[in-house]
Amino acid sequence: MARNKSFRFFANPAVRWLLIVLAIVFSLGLLVLSSVMVKLDQDVRNKFAGVRWVLPAQVYSAPLEIYPGAALGLPQLRHELDRLGYRAGEELVGPGTYIPARDSLRVDMRAFAFWDAAQPEQRIEVRGDDKSIGSLRVMGSDQTVDLLRFDPLLIGSIYPSHGGEDRVLVKLSEVPPLLPQALVLVEDHNFYSHGGVSLRGILRAMLANLRAGHTVQGASTLTQQLIKNLFLSNERTVKRKLTEALMAILLERHVGKDEILEAYLNEVDLGQDGPRAIHGFGLGSQFYFNKPLNELQPHEIAMLVAIVKGPSQFNPRHAPKLVTERRNMVLKMMADAGIITPDEYQDAVRRPLGVTAGGGGGAARYPAFVELVRRQLASLYQEQDLTSEGLRIFTTLDPHVQEALENRITADVPELEKSRHMAEGTLQGAGVVTSVEGGEVLAVVGGRDARYAGFNRAIDTRRPIGSLAKPFVYLTALEHPDKYNLQTPLDDAPVELRLPTGQVWEPKNYDRQLHGTLPLYLALAKSYNLATVHLGLDLGINPVRQTIAQAGFDDVPEVPSIFLGAIDMSPLDVAQIYSTLAASGYRTRLLTIRAVLTKDGKPLNRYPFKLQRTLSEGPVYLTTWAMRKVIELGTAHWAMSVLPPGQSYAGKTGTTEDLRDSWFAGFGSDRVAVVWVGRDDNKPTGFEGATGALRVWGRLIRDLGAKGIETLPPSDVENVMVDPASGLRSGPGCAEAVEVPYLRDSAPQQYAPCANQSQSAPMNWLKSIFK
Amino acid sequence: MSTVIRRMAPAGLALGMMLLSGCATEHGQVETAAAPMAAPLVPPPPAAAGPLVPGMGTIIPPGVSTPPVMPNYPKTIRDTGANPAVLSLYRQAQEAYAGGRYDQADELLQRSVDKDPHNPFIWQQLAMVRLSLKQPEQAEQAAEKSNTLARGNPYVEAGNWRLIAKARQALGNVQGATQAEARADDIARSLSGTP
Repeated sequence: MARNKSFRFFANPAVRWLLIVLAIVFSLGLLVLSSVMVKLDQDVRNKFAGVRWVLPAQVYSAPLEIYPGAALGLPQLRHELDRLGYRAGEELVGPGTYIPARDSLRVDMRAFAFWDAAQPEQRIEVRGDDKSIGSLRVMGSDQTVDLLRFDPLLIGSIYPSHGGEDRVLVKLSEVPPLLPQALVLVEDHNFYSHGGVSLRGILRAMLANLRAGHTVQGASTLTQQLIKNLFLSNERTVKRKLTEALMAILLERHVGKDEILEAYLNEVDLGQDGPRAIHGFGLGSQFYFNKPLNELQPHEIAMLVAIVKGPSQFNPRHAPKLVTERRNMVLKMMADAGIITPDEYQDAVRRPLGVTAGGGGGAARYPAFVELVRRQLASLYQEQDLTSEGLRIFTTLDPHVQEALENRITADVPELEKSRHMAEGTLQGAGVVTSVEGGEVLAVVGGRDARYAGFNRAIDTRRPIGSLAKPFVYLTALEHPDKYNLQTPLDDAPVELRLPTGQVWEPKNYDRQLHGTLPLYLALAKSYNLATVHLGLDLGINPVRQTIAQAGFDDVPEVPSIFLGAIDMSPLDVAQIYSTLAASGYRTRLLTIRAVLTKDGKPLNRYPFKLQRTLSEGPVYLTTWAMRKVIELGTAHWAMSVLPPGQSYAGKTGTTEDLRDSWFAGFGSDRVAVVWVGRDDNKPTGFEGATGALRVWGRLIRDLGAKGIETLPPSDVENVMVDPASGLRSGPGCAEAVEVPYLRDSAPQQYAPCANQSQSAPMNWLKSIFK
Repeated sequence: MSTVIRRMAPAGLALGMMLLSGCATEHGQVETAAAPMAAPLVPPPPAAAGPLVPGMGTIIPPGVSTPPVMPNYPKTIRDTGANPAVLSLYRQAQEAYAGGRYDQADELLQRSVDKDPHNPFIWQQLAMVRLSLKQPEQAEQAAEKSNTLARGNPYVEAGNWRLIAKARQALGNVQGATQAEARADDIARSLSGTP
């Protein structure tokens, strides 16, 4: 009966048609699904094979080099190692560790592939004291070492200016095994047994979520998370979830577990640093702990694994308590699973998170310098290559010099501000330090908050340089030995000049006084405006412009006020022209980049310094001599109180109208330093060059231990003893002789009246000047 | 300063000393541009200008004729008292140069310059390397820089002028090359004592 009924049911034509339609729809559905699967399968394969990690260029500082005799005491060496993320301890437990002692330091140096050679991992015993390095020896042998280079500091990356992913690529074979173990344990327990999707995981999550009444546990496998991060959006829809699951299953059919895990390690989102997204454990380790991944200890590994769950919620710098709790939970799981011992667990849970302060490692430490590197790179490479090809950029930044400059500006500028009762934060400062030979930019500070990646005053503040221009006026004169030498009398008398615009230019001395006739070098040392303008007018505007151009800056207006520094320049521009003076007239374009390597460490480009003699050595020597007098007896005499005794430095103060800008630029034999102090709103500060910027500069040179100038004259210069009273050659009878350098054959040939007799010279009028 | 003194070696340059001692009277004072020790080390000026021109009716020559003494100039970088680290880099650079690895040699010499910026031997080697790197302009500049730092050291200067001659040759400056060669020859002759 029933059979008959059902037969009749199927015999119904309407039902038959319905069934046929259903069968067709089902088959079509299968067809569509399989074609979708085939397409997805192809997509997954292509996409995964074509995964090109976005690898911003990595920017490195110059390496710390140590050698016997280097002026680096052991305490300073410890400081440098700490900065590099080396850990002090009682034993060497691997690369990146050291053992400090009173007169020695044993260190396990990290291996590093430099652009010109590879430095292997080595265990070295450094002997020395608090002033310098004594000897270097390979531990466990008698082999001494002449020179060592430490791995450089990673100081930043070049990611797109609108923000983007940043990562340091790692290989699974190179990461500490504990990391993938802990990751699998916490994020995807069945990773090695499931086929991309874990039914057990789904059931477990469903149960947990039902019990809690809301979502507490995800069921995504590592493979699904990877698929989502690599190829899909973040939207929470059934379609996205289904696609993700399908793609995960398909991916597992083509790609091995290790490959999936390695991709995951490099892709995972571990936090945000302003516009920069921190991806992968390689960068995560640098970002949070300032050391390479393979040096992480169990508690650090556990923390990174802990924050995978949600790096914005579990931000170790903002929510340390929450992160510590979750880290300890991860550690507990690790101990329960037996991947760490109970002792290791006990040790690890007691430790603090150990996250470095600030934006993370060196990456955000030097924004002003990295900005300069970025600009120089932009003129050399395509943005696309810089932000995605993983180039390795080796720069000239010297972290030790940078720290000294930062310390000075952040300490001295607020102090100056206070001394003038200015509102807090009104006074700004910037500075640049370069090497004398080779034109390397060693340090850049763009403002009193050196960590702030905002307006970079070292590059972008273009202000009149005031008397910093004067040495170039005097140099132009000294290039004409037939007319000028250091003793040539100049007239510090009033000037009135009608300009082509019809205006009358009537410069004044800073002290509003007239100083009569005085020797050329003293006019520079005392920075007298009127004497300088007279000299400049004698020389002409264009020759002075040309001298400044030869020194390295050619945007100088054609007006007489350039003699007094009506030239807008940045501290970096000033460093360029002063470094040409410091290098005896050889101009080297200031560089921040030494070499660029591909991500595989193959040399791509080298940027050797290129020098060009643009100014004659003799006149530069004479000018430098006069600039030494600026410090010895001129406007910068204050510096003598802080500079190391017995050393000689050359420099010049600069002050602009109404005391808006306070400058000092100067050099020894190995460092050029330029300091600017002023206000962003360009209002008067109340500081001259000598009372503002010089204070920073003098202490900076002291802190740097910069070497004094080597005073031996070049072959076309002779030192001649002259009688200051007459400006003629002195002799045994002259009581007060001074030694003055002259270009050869331009020294006075005549002897002073006092030379062989008691003093009865006329022209005693000049003598008083030298007293 | 100290490195320069070492580099220039004890030179018995009496004239500067005499000028100093002659001028510093018991109540007088001497203001020296160079540190006091540097003055005696300056190579002698060309044979003191014969009869000195009397100035404003005065007489004098404190002119004392000194026999020309050749200062004990360093002949190699080893004599300059350079740091072992610098010597090591310099040696590696020479090896790289000999092996035709000019880029590496250039890099090593730049590192040497960082540590010992005023050593004329390093700049001379850099000039050689840059010549081999087919950068004759840079070679000439580096050799000139070496001359600037040599402060009269004929051993360095002779080599530099030969390098400058080669660089100028490569730049097509035949006359300049000949002049440079002639200067090298002059120095070589003065070193060997032949007129």
